[in-house]
Amino acid sequence: MAQVQCIPQRGSDGIGFTNYWQNVAAMKSEKPLLRLASSATQGGLSGLDDNARFADVVMPHIDDAYRLAHWLTGNSTDAEDVVQDASLRAFRAIRGYAGGSARAWLLCIVRNTAYSWLRKNRPTAVVTVDDLEAVELAQANPSDPDAETPETTLLAQIDADQLRAAIAALPAPFRETLVLRDIEGLDYREIAQTTEVPIGTVMSRLARARRRLTATLGGKSID
Amino acid sequence: MTPSTSDDNSVLLVHAYLDGELDPANALEIAQRMSTDPALAAEGRRVTALQQLIHERLPREASPPGLRARIEASVGGHRRGRERPSWRALAASIALTAMVASSSTWLIIGSPPESTTADSLVSDHIRALMAPQPIDVASSDRHTVKPWFNGRIPESPRVVDLAKQGFPLVGGRLDVVGRDPCPTLVYRHEKHLISLTEMPAGSRLDLGKTPRTINGYNVVHWTEDGVSYWAISDLAASKLEDFAHLFRTTPAES
Repeated sequence: MAQVQCIPQRGSDGIGFTNYWQNVAAMKSEKPLLRLASSATQGGLSGLDDNARFADVVMPHIDDAYRLAHWLTGNSTDAEDVVQDASLRAFRAIRGYAGGSARAWLLCIVRNTAYSWLRKNRPTAVVTVDDLEAVELAQANPSDPDAETPETTLLAQIDADQLRAAIAALPAPFRETLVLRDIEGLDYREIAQTTEVPIGTVMSRLARARRRLTATLGGKSID
Repeated sequence: MTPSTSDDNSVLLVHAYLDGELDPANALEIAQRMSTDPALAAEGRRVTALQQLIHERLPREASPPGLRARIEASVGGHRRGRERPSWRALAASIALTAMVASSSTWLIIGSPPESTTADSLVSDHIRALMAPQPIDVASSDRHTVKPWFNGRIPESPRVVDLAKQGFPLVGGRLDVVGRDPCPTLVYRHEKHLISLTEMPAGSRLDLGKTPRTINGYNVVHWTEDGVSYWAISDLAASKLEDFAHLFRTTPAES
């Protein structure tokens, strides 16, 4: 079974990331305002407990979960299946949620669910860890020739379908990183937690994803 | 076209800078390098152009109707479990609103002072001062700070340049009031920091009386155009009032 640990990992980024977000998260669980409803989560029936936590932790992020699943599976029907499956897993694992970004926690489960779903239903499209490493190696140099630098003005002529197709064509590790950052607006720490890689890897994948995308969109027109 | 003269690490830092992920010292350094290194500057322009393109062309769609209901049903028909707390929440918020409406009775009835917005924001301010940095995005340029909030919260905060009046912008962060993220701008006056939080006026967050001082921090609150503003600082009350006045009267031309 896919793991639902989703523990944030830290790389040797060494550039002084703030731990403010952890503080925010800690604060959030410590000192709720108008969250009297959650007193129900403190004790009482365990069934009620889990459901209240699920409503607090998971339900606010269903839209984000759906969008990520859509980008990973490529279509809305599969995305719905994946999100439903992932929600069930999240429900079963809800007691393991120990604070921190609830959104990243859920998206990590969605991501794992999507990849196991793809392995099962679309084995040809599966991205294995070896593939990921091959991609990393092949793209080890961010200033590679296919990332030549088009004029930014060319980008303004791209329409939504072209943009969507270009993002969909990115290799999965680049695609998910770009989607989580530039569409979903997660910060690096949350992306590291969601994709289970160090922050340094998030940074290099993001830079390469953006370069490839810019090169594709500006370099050659997509039909 | 031109081979990049910058090393890979600097390129990553440009991305991190534009994503608001660098601490102030690193942000300052990379901003300076971008101003002198054309390759890094071009990288920055491409990132910004791409982000803007994505932001404009790909609005974030909601999940299909019915998905939420199916999920709630699939976690075991525990709907009753969900409804009870939400009833309590409703009752509690009605009760709390009533208490707050009757001015200071909230203290006597025993609702803890922490449950007012002002207290929550003062705590956020104090905690921000204790953190390695009081901000999540470090920039004195409101054209950097304002877009940083895009994608994090639905509303875009009003950001005003008050550097000439002695209140330079330091950056921004998200504070959490209740469970909702609220944009907070951080300004500086001499050695004092000012946290200015914006939230929709009249929302459930925007309740509670407005004390002038909490734990020695001065609080100034006003509402304008449907937005509720809270300024928190250890600055003298009169200076903080000046700041509020400047913020209200200076146009935020784009």
